[in-house]
Amino acid sequence: MEPLLTLDGIVKTFTQKRGGKRDVQAVAGVSLTVGRGETVGLVGESGCGKSTLARLALKLIEPTAGRILFDGEDITARHGRAMLPVRRRMQAVFQDPLASLNSRMTIAEILREPFDTHGIKLGAALQPRIRELLSFVGMENTDTTKLPPQFSGGQLQRIAIARALALEPDIIVADEPTSALDPSIQAQIVNLLLFIQRQRQISYVIISHDLDVIGHVADRIAVMYLGTIIEQGPAAAIIGSPWHPYTQALLSAAPTLAARRNPEWKRIVLTGDPPNPANVPTGCRFHPRCHLARDICRQVEPPLRPSEDGARLIACHLAPEETAEKGRWIGQARLGMPAAATA
Amino acid sequence: MSAVLPTARPRRSRPRGVLAPVALLVIVILIAFALVPGLIAPDSPVALNMADRLKPPSLAHLFGTDEGGRDIFSRVVFGTRYSLGVAIAIVFASALFGVVYGAISGMARGSADNVMMRIVDLFFGFPALVLALAVAASIGRGLGSVALSLTIIWWPGYARLVRGEVLRLRERPHVEAARALGVSNLTILRRHILPFVAQEVNVRVTTDIGYALVAVTALSFLGLGANSPTPEWGLLIRDSRPYFGSAWWYLVFPGTMIMLTATAFSLIGDSLAARRGG
Amino acid sequence: MILSVRDLSIGFRRPGGDLPAVDKISFDVREGETFVIIGESGSGKSLTGMSIAGLQPATSVTSGSIRFKERELLNRPDTELRRMRGREIGLIYQDPLGSLNPVWPVGDQIAEALRAHGLASGAAAARRAVEMLDRVRIPDPARVATAYPHEISGGMRQRAMIAMALIAGPSLLIADEPTTALDVTIKAQMLELLAELQREMALTIILITHDMGVVAEVADRILVMYAGRVAEIGDADAIMRTPSHPYTAALMTSAMISEAEPKQQLNAIVGVAPGLGSFPDGCHFHPRCPLAQDDCRSFVPPLRRLGDVALACHHPVGSDTALMAEA
Repeated sequence: MEPLLTLDGIVKTFTQKRGGKRDVQAVAGVSLTVGRGETVGLVGESGCGKSTLARLALKLIEPTAGRILFDGEDITARHGRAMLPVRRRMQAVFQDPLASLNSRMTIAEILREPFDTHGIKLGAALQPRIRELLSFVGMENTDTTKLPPQFSGGQLQRIAIARALALEPDIIVADEPTSALDPSIQAQIVNLLLFIQRQRQISYVIISHDLDVIGHVADRIAVMYLGTIIEQGPAAAIIGSPWHPYTQALLSAAPTLAARRNPEWKRIVLTGDPPNPANVPTGCRFHPRCHLARDICRQVEPPLRPSEDGARLIACHLAPEETAEKGRWIGQARLGMPAAATA
Repeated sequence: MSAVLPTARPRRSRPRGVLAPVALLVIVILIAFALVPGLIAPDSPVALNMADRLKPPSLAHLFGTDEGGRDIFSRVVFGTRYSLGVAIAIVFASALFGVVYGAISGMARGSADNVMMRIVDLFFGFPALVLALAVAASIGRGLGSVALSLTIIWWPGYARLVRGEVLRLRERPHVEAARALGVSNLTILRRHILPFVAQEVNVRVTTDIGYALVAVTALSFLGLGANSPTPEWGLLIRDSRPYFGSAWWYLVFPGTMIMLTATAFSLIGDSLAARRGG
Repeated sequence: MILSVRDLSIGFRRPGGDLPAVDKISFDVREGETFVIIGESGSGKSLTGMSIAGLQPATSVTSGSIRFKERELLNRPDTELRRMRGREIGLIYQDPLGSLNPVWPVGDQIAEALRAHGLASGAAAARRAVEMLDRVRIPDPARVATAYPHEISGGMRQRAMIAMALIAGPSLLIADEPTTALDVTIKAQMLELLAELQREMALTIILITHDMGVVAEVADRILVMYAGRVAEIGDADAIMRTPSHPYTAALMTSAMISEAEPKQQLNAIVGVAPGLGSFPDGCHFHPRCPLAQDDCRSFVPPLRRLGDVALACHHPVGSDTALMAEA
């Protein structure tokens, strides 16, 4: 079965037009596939390029190099009207629900726009369809003559999701769909996304910095750092036993409540400057902050290679030999099980 | 500075509540003057009556009479459609052209935007008076000539304003979301960008009418605009010059009308700006 | 007790009457502890924190009592409060860009805090500013001191803001959502920094957040707020081990996503927190509470002691009167 979405060797360079002329490579060669009905989680911190990658996948910006394939067809060079049939099947949900909705349009108008844009004339069936969509996302009895500022963040995100579902897409790219919401509402939206997937077999690409959310909803996880994927594999494997030192640091920084409360818990503290895509280190991009860094790490960028059992992809000279043990420990300890700490 | 010593936020200053309705009233009256001057003005603005020349203000002649015995109040009323009318026409035409131009430039970005903005810069730098003289020299003097030159002077301001706003707004998440939906650029402009620009433009249009009025009357005063016996306000002031000393009302009343009108529009513009959070 | 708040109420003036945002809350903060106020949007937590420093919005009406080191703070003239801010009470916010002046170099702004309180001036103040930047673990503090806010990274701006808040040596630090916009690894660093500074400077910290993880990490005592009222307050360990208020329990469950079975529905609270002006009668939480009973709908639950904690609930989790709720 062919993957639904394929990103092949995607590079995105932003050129600085003024002064210093230092080009910033936000995405430096990323390949990723998304299968039907699959959820791929893209995780990383500021500057890793995950949001840029999301926009590349949605073709909101053009890649500098690489190919994008949708359901087998090369859409890399498609623009404007030619993209319409693809857009119908690939939709988006963004981080800030209020900002992603036109505050001067009524809910009815907002939910009508997808149909108008794709020439779908529903006539009298439009209002019932809109009501049905809203009901599906848990917003039954919504007054569709209201404007976005009259709703709460969680409600607006549901409306945004309803908008994304209007055209019955095959895949939804969600950029930090829960980050701007209160914790209790986050759980609601996570539930909604899971529910929708179960009902409609939609594929998701979920971008988040929140490992808990990603770990809960993703089938596969790709960890990004400074524009490249440094580890990728089944969610259970990545969360339960991370190999890459950066993934380990990420996970150890967000343990369970019980682990945080445990004075024995030793988190991995990253030293050095936070990643800056305008200033990419030589060799392994993570080496300035990695406590295991060797000479080879400073000189040679490790390729993203499959593990021996083929289950995951890892870009590290020292993994799994020197890191797997620690990874297992972190996976366990994170869940609050006390263990001898060797940071 | 206040970052170091945060203080409680001061009370928001209230927009001038009393003046705005007064300004609105003035404008309504002016519109009446412009639309139905015959119903309001007691006398003809052009009929000569030498017996009554240069009479001071009285009940029969609220603003006094001019050197031809014409009632100045009537002249002012009839003149509204010329002075204010042309000012409004100029601003609307400039805004229309400037908005379209700026929107296209902002959406196009890249080299097209660059070229279009360089053209705007060219127009911006041009001295208004020289242009007015040049235009008057080529197509003759008159309100039409003034309207043309002032429109040429005015539109770049709108182009720049709108282009700036379009550039800013096109990065907004809701625009991005619309693009992800597949909405066309034109529709994005119409539905997702321009409604947010409208407020800015409205504020500027309102205040600009006041400025345009002053400009029109000034050019007429210099002799480039309306011709006698059109009762255009600037022309009235020009005609009043020989009588500055003896017939003060000839200068004062038309001059006050100009000031009053310009101020009224300015105040309305201010309150619009305050309302949008300016 | 370095801070004692009694019956603090904050409301907003509206033509039709006052809108209550914080409704008669009371709590104490002990010297040297980390006191975390946790709540979601509309809970009134930020308002509460800001009102301690006298920074509630000018359109609000405040009543009750806020006693800081035995002195009543409420309705003190702003001039006195201004003298106190920085010198005795420091503040940091979620967004450093908001509190840093973009046209001044960072070092100058920090030094200004000293000058404004008459603690140092000129070169001495500048030197102490650099020292403070070093103390908040900013690398190359001398260079950063001459930089403008937009020239340094977000994480460094956060630290600079902390430096500015602490340089005049306050005994109380109020931190309003200091970690909310930060990356996970930076968040961790920030919390550690605050803990270290607390030890070094004998600080009392009031931290306002919606993030249970932060609570778990640093809290000695917790105040859980919901829709303007106290839900639960007390020892952090006790509350986290056995949350008695249904809202606290639900908040904690929401924070335990990693312990839930992957791809399964989470235990989420239904509904949305009420906004200003639409607080329900009785217990504010009852429309969303799985354990709500009749009296919850009509009577405001008073704050009562229950071991190490105080809570405002008619039928706390696990009590005799609670319904045996089906999950």
